[in-house]
Amino acid sequence: MKAYCKLFACSVLYFVFNGTNSYAQQSSKLSDPEIASVAVTANQIDIDAAKLAKEKSKDQDIIKFAETMINDHQAVINQAVALVKKLNVTPKDNATSQKMSADAANTKKILQSKSGKDFNKAYIDNEVAYHKAVIDAVQNVLIPQAQNAELKQLLQDIMPALKTHLEHAEMIQKNFQ
Amino acid sequence: MIKLNRDVKNYVILLSLLFFNNCNFDVQKDHPKLYVIEIKQMQFQPALLKVHAGDTIEWVNHDFVTHDVTEETNKDWSSSPLAAGTSWRMVINKNTDYYCSIHQVMKGKLVIDR
Repeated sequence: MKAYCKLFACSVLYFVFNGTNSYAQQSSKLSDPEIASVAVTANQIDIDAAKLAKEKSKDQDIIKFAETMINDHQAVINQAVALVKKLNVTPKDNATSQKMSADAANTKKILQSKSGKDFNKAYIDNEVAYHKAVIDAVQNVLIPQAQNAELKQLLQDIMPALKTHLEHAEMIQKNFQ
Repeated sequence: MIKLNRDVKNYVILLSLLFFNNCNFDVQKDHPKLYVIEIKQMQFQPALLKVHAGDTIEWVNHDFVTHDVTEETNKDWSSSPLAAGTSWRMVINKNTDYYCSIHQVMKGKLVIDR
């Protein structure tokens, strides 16, 4: 796996598990509004990567996968938005979601610099790494830390989709070994 | 009035039971059934289903993402996209491997029980 994919995956895991000292958070534990913001951000990041893939790739497997990522992650965002409206909660931007966005922007620059088969491989490698990191974060941090039962249930409900995305990405990744 | 002895009566009863048992079996074959496969948690549930030729299968999407149901080997048929909460039916006449062409790792199998 390319170094920048590992770096991005590690930074997702690091900042979800530990928060960031530079923002002097009192606790690394995330509140429900912060968890909602992290969940929406994580989905939006994959939508943005998929839109780039649809622009740059000519490989049908990559394009179809990217379309699925856009549709599925938007469906998750819609579910999350509906829930926070129902609970009258405002997603709270936080150090974790900000760092995720910053790292995603760096990854996007790297992907934009590539083309052809190099881009296809880089994109799908990143998708595998990213989904592994998000699955780990949701399973081991967001779900245990969520206080509201409906938020916890939503996070549990999205796990099968995340795992299927990972399995699908790994299947496509074999074509670019 | 003809009096039937006990052996003859038993023989008639036995023949009648055998006859009606066969009739019931034929009736079951002639009336196709409807089976429901739930699309839930990114799986076809049940993933393997044994049916009879002529039975109808209904796939119901209980997930919040869109799926489809597509014949896997030759792409002979497809449901086209099934949004959350929607369903699609098809009559099955042969063994079939199918999948979701949107989430290609989701697979199912229909086996004709002869």
